[in-house]
Amino acid sequence: MTQNFEISSAEVDKIKKISKEEKNFRIKNLEVFNAKGFPNKRNEDWKFSDLKEIINKNFKSLTVNNTKSKVEKINLIKDFEHNYIFLVNGHLISSDFKFEEKNKIKINSLDKSVDIKEASDNSLVCLNRALSTEGYNLEVEKNYKFKKVLVIYNLFTKDLKNNILNNKNVTKIGENSELHVIDFTINESKNKFINNIYEDISLEKNSVFKNISIQNNESLGYFHKFSKNKIQARANYSTFVFSSGLKFNKIDMEFDLEGENSNCNLHSALFLDNESHQEIKTKMNHLVPNCKSHQIVKKVLASDAKGVYQGKIYVKDKAQKTDAYQLSKALLLNDNSEFNSKPELEIYADDVKCSHGSSSGSLDQDSIHYLMTRGLSKKDSVKLLIKGFLNEITEMIKSNSIRNFVANRLEGQIHGS
Amino acid sequence: MLEIKNLKVSINDRDILKGLTLSIKPGEVHAIMGPNGSGKSTLANILSGKSGYKISGDLKFQGKNLEEIPIEERAQKGIFLAFQYPLEIPGVNTNNFLKTSLNTIRKARGEKEIDTLAFLKLVKEKASELGIDEKILSRQLNVGFSGGEKKKNEILQMKILDPTLTILDETDSGLDIDALKTVANGVNSSRDEKKSFLVITHYQRLLDYIKPDHVHVLSDGKIIKSGDSKLAQELEKKGYKEIN
Repeated sequence: MTQNFEISSAEVDKIKKISKEEKNFRIKNLEVFNAKGFPNKRNEDWKFSDLKEIINKNFKSLTVNNTKSKVEKINLIKDFEHNYIFLVNGHLISSDFKFEEKNKIKINSLDKSVDIKEASDNSLVCLNRALSTEGYNLEVEKNYKFKKVLVIYNLFTKDLKNNILNNKNVTKIGENSELHVIDFTINESKNKFINNIYEDISLEKNSVFKNISIQNNESLGYFHKFSKNKIQARANYSTFVFSSGLKFNKIDMEFDLEGENSNCNLHSALFLDNESHQEIKTKMNHLVPNCKSHQIVKKVLASDAKGVYQGKIYVKDKAQKTDAYQLSKALLLNDNSEFNSKPELEIYADDVKCSHGSSSGSLDQDSIHYLMTRGLSKKDSVKLLIKGFLNEITEMIKSNSIRNFVANRLEGQIHGS
Repeated sequence: MLEIKNLKVSINDRDILKGLTLSIKPGEVHAIMGPNGSGKSTLANILSGKSGYKISGDLKFQGKNLEEIPIEERAQKGIFLAFQYPLEIPGVNTNNFLKTSLNTIRKARGEKEIDTLAFLKLVKEKASELGIDEKILSRQLNVGFSGGEKKKNEILQMKILDPTLTILDETDSGLDIDALKTVANGVNSSRDEKKSFLVITHYQRLLDYIKPDHVHVLSDGKIIKSGDSKLAQELEKKGYKEIN
């Protein structure tokens, strides 16, 4: 790999047992990536997150990682009973569904055959299509409700350094089925690396999928995830993003509400500091009538952190009675922190309820004073106000043990400024 | 307890207090009355340590220069201000906040932290004394509270933190007569020979229920008249203008 991060087609040659057609598809995608490079701010979708510049500034070289690192032992979460999948650098290592009926669940490593799809504008998605060989396929059969939550331990190993990992994960929830997942990222690398994930989630009729993303610890990793989600009639999708503490993280999510009376929620509470850069980009596609979507993104920005929220609600002409809501709020703790928000509505139906709002501000000094007159130090007062700001989101988690687990992780990340 | 001598306070070059002198001894209840803009709330703010003011003069609490005591330490040393406009703190549970506040103060005083069970018992007892619906204690601090609930919540905090010097900044404003009585009872039941109160109010009404030892009239940044509780009644009849 050269300084401009061009990736040799020899990397595709290393992928064994693929058809000629697939190989051509991969090479074609790699060519797109090599022509475009990492996305930069000239691309509207990346105007607030110039990844090309960020990568150039922070990486001198990049190596494609396709070797299996040694499995380290992981400490399982003790706060609640759960099933788990264990990933190391994106590779599926093991899984345990001890609380479930095993014949209702299929889990395997990503099938190397690639569904041929149209080209993507996103050069990172092209790169992923060119190189992804690892990840998982998870399928929940019809009429099966998980009894316990599934934790996906996503471990990044110590030896990662200037690597780029491309993973693809696929989840399918069958009709009338239900799955709750916690994406738990554990980072052992003290170095910079890039994780480029493509995620594909589909919810069949009447199914329920709930997801929480959270980090165990800080990371110098640069994360990009493109997530494509399809939601069928009466299905319920809910995702919580608590992914603070990554050096760079862009989560780009597209939701297609394809079946009537389906429902999609995205809620996020983040504390960003140490010059970290976090973007949540969503495209909520209301394609049929009577669907609901609800998004609230709250970010606290300290020490030169940058937060971005780009949220687009698209309502197709026939998608009458759509109810779509979107709100972003930022709390800026220092003068050099930055929040950019770009809400967009594109509506072709005439009988819909769509609203969006965005605000940013600093901590209220009178509130700090009030708390201090009750004996709290300034630091504790600030911390309490930040917690209060983010609590709105954590309070939405119904399970006590999981909510406490998340609140504790989040509290560990918060500090006054 | 509290010694104020020739206190002058200005904000943005505007003089608000222009030489205020006041001495409060342990066990005493003082009332400060005065028209709008006389500097009553500024006095409360100064005692609580609010920033943004230029201050000169002598300000002593228990013999120590109050200006040198940081805000949170004032609370830890026993000064409590019941706010005229208690702030709404979204996302912070009232009970959790009260417990954090109490334990911070106990710790600073070298006392043992109170556990959840003992705390809940304490808060339940004090809340029922004040006729506070326990439900509001599991809500976010002051968020969506009615005016009366906010004021009662201030008095509840006072009861729980058990301060030596309490400043009530227009706690009576916006209260109906029943709430006023409850609040006054809350204060009266805390009175003893060691505790002092500074009651700041527009109206004599509150002083029908909290009997002050001394009443002061504050006008244009100075105390222009002091007397006993009869002065309050006189004020009610004549108005501030005539006293001036």
